[in-house]
Amino acid sequence: MDENGALVNVIELEKRFAVSAGVFGRVKGHIHAVDDISFDIPSGRSLGLVGESGCGKTTTGKLLARLMDPTDGHIYLNDDLMGRIDLAEIRGRELKTFRQRVQIIFQDPYESLNPRRTIYDTVEEPLRVQGAGILVEREARVVKLLELVGLTPASSFLFRFPHELSGGQRQRVAIARALVVNPVFVIADEPTSMLDVSIRIGVMQLMTELAERLNVSYLYITHDLAIARYMCHEIAVMYLGKIVEQGETEEMIKNPLHPYTQALFSAVPIPNPRRNRVAIGIKGGVSAPIDPPQRCRFYDRCLVGDEFCHDNDHPPLEDRGAGHRVACYKV
Amino acid sequence: MNDKPILSVRNLTMHYYTRKGDVSAVDDVSFDLARGQSLGLVGESGCGKTSVAFSLLRLLPENAQLLAGNVYLDGCDVLALDEKEVRKIRWRGISMVFQAAMNALDPVYRVGDQIIEALQTHFRGLGEAEARDRVIELFPMVGLDPSLMERYPHEFSGGMRQRAVIAMALSCDPRVIIADEPTTALDVIVQDRILNELRAIQRKMGMSMIYITHDIAVIAEVSDRIGVMYAGRMAELASAVDIFENPFHPYTHALMNAFPSIEGEKQELKALPGEPPDLLSPPSGCRFHPRCSRRIESCNRLQPPFEDMGDDHFVACWNPREVGNG
Repeated sequence: MDENGALVNVIELEKRFAVSAGVFGRVKGHIHAVDDISFDIPSGRSLGLVGESGCGKTTTGKLLARLMDPTDGHIYLNDDLMGRIDLAEIRGRELKTFRQRVQIIFQDPYESLNPRRTIYDTVEEPLRVQGAGILVEREARVVKLLELVGLTPASSFLFRFPHELSGGQRQRVAIARALVVNPVFVIADEPTSMLDVSIRIGVMQLMTELAERLNVSYLYITHDLAIARYMCHEIAVMYLGKIVEQGETEEMIKNPLHPYTQALFSAVPIPNPRRNRVAIGIKGGVSAPIDPPQRCRFYDRCLVGDEFCHDNDHPPLEDRGAGHRVACYKV
Repeated sequence: MNDKPILSVRNLTMHYYTRKGDVSAVDDVSFDLARGQSLGLVGESGCGKTSVAFSLLRLLPENAQLLAGNVYLDGCDVLALDEKEVRKIRWRGISMVFQAAMNALDPVYRVGDQIIEALQTHFRGLGEAEARDRVIELFPMVGLDPSLMERYPHEFSGGMRQRAVIAMALSCDPRVIIADEPTTALDVIVQDRILNELRAIQRKMGMSMIYITHDIAVIAEVSDRIGVMYAGRMAELASAVDIFENPFHPYTHALMNAFPSIEGEKQELKALPGEPPDLLSPPSGCRFHPRCSRRIESCNRLQPPFEDMGDDHFVACWNPREVGNG
């Protein structure tokens, strides 16, 4: 672990995708999917990455899981087992250990589980790949994990197939599979968005409880702010590849400072029929960040931006007290 | 103004026949929709809310069968009509905004032409120019520039497509509009704009609307009245405020406590035990009883009647919660 106790340090991370056109596939520009973002995730804490589709939150998750290589920047994992590692540098055996320490849970439990494998095979596979223990130990571990995620008695689930389980149960299997190898960091990409209301809370509570019990940190990727509020210690709002605001969850919810965050939060429907919610204005719609100009990414949609915002580079993400960071000249 | 409901649904019962057996998708569902009112139908996937909508329009797949019930649109029983007469009801009587806007638009025709075609099909003798004028009038109502009618669906963003589908549903001036999860696939800022437009149109035109969603926050904002469905049955039906503040049914109460909000102080969320039942073999008696915390002896034997508890607040429960209601 590094001196300030962060488990993950992301430094000036960038990911660009080439956009090609025409019969010869000439590169006509680059999508700046993740554009110079930096953040830390302290050990045992969860960071929520929120924003609209196309803001770069899923790409960030894939970079942190090393399912994709960054164009530029660094991701450090400060792990008790591995020491401080730079994700871009690790190879071979180290990469294999990394695959054990960092896990990912996907959105759709109907697609992320192999339909031809039993629940036992699915949950045991990461252990087998890691060469962990002998068969009986692995069996015991799988049973323990299934019970931990609430699939009890485990014996009645072990030899079932995914199609025999409900959506909520499948997502519990995916969680068990992610946690079976004792990770320190889990990237969860919209893990509850496919689940029904009455099932969702159970899965959310399970994830929170297990994080505390097993000292796991989450990067929780979601478009649903209300869910982020319940799952995360901190929230970072992304817009066109940039983090525009980040802070403690309740501080962010009650006191959003960036004009985009204000517009986004005020557009969230409120489950109270007496409340007459009025959204804060925003211009136009989201565009793709193909070779965007240097100025503030939000300038074209901002109602408070002025000439200064037009003429200067994208504002830096600056601390406005108590770790509440905002990237805006007008705040 | 006529104070009889524009739409009355009585004892609607519909099954799907599948290889595995009968799926009891809609069971004995009754409700009224008043003129100019917005009724929200809320429930989890498989609770029958979309099946109710398809039954009202008689747009059912071949393996579905309406076993019982009546649907009165302005006094005329839609379920008793033959196919030719039903076609006259669709679009002009009841029109629908579908969930998947991409699939509702034909990719090879210009968006405007598709609406013109719908208009000309339903209003015999309507000229091309008049139909075009109608589209030019409709587009700004849903926040689209009239020049966009010359474009193809793939040139539209998700939000624009959904707006075009709403314009199409409004085009024949329907008496009732059914919106089935029209904003579910959209980002929150776009969703907010479309909901505002839909509400404004509904109020301005005095249109009667059924809004279907699983999203409790959205239903709170669009509905005058709310019907909560569970496992093919209507569990509770009341004013939006009563559903949120004085729910009689334990399921309604649980649903309201399981929905996170960003408003106010953070409330503790309570998970509901168990899962919705398989409708191939629904539980006996009240279909919610295996998950219910207020279960009593009669719950697993007898189906509770759907009764008015006063103030037009209907509930189907043998042991309703005690609330201060009127």
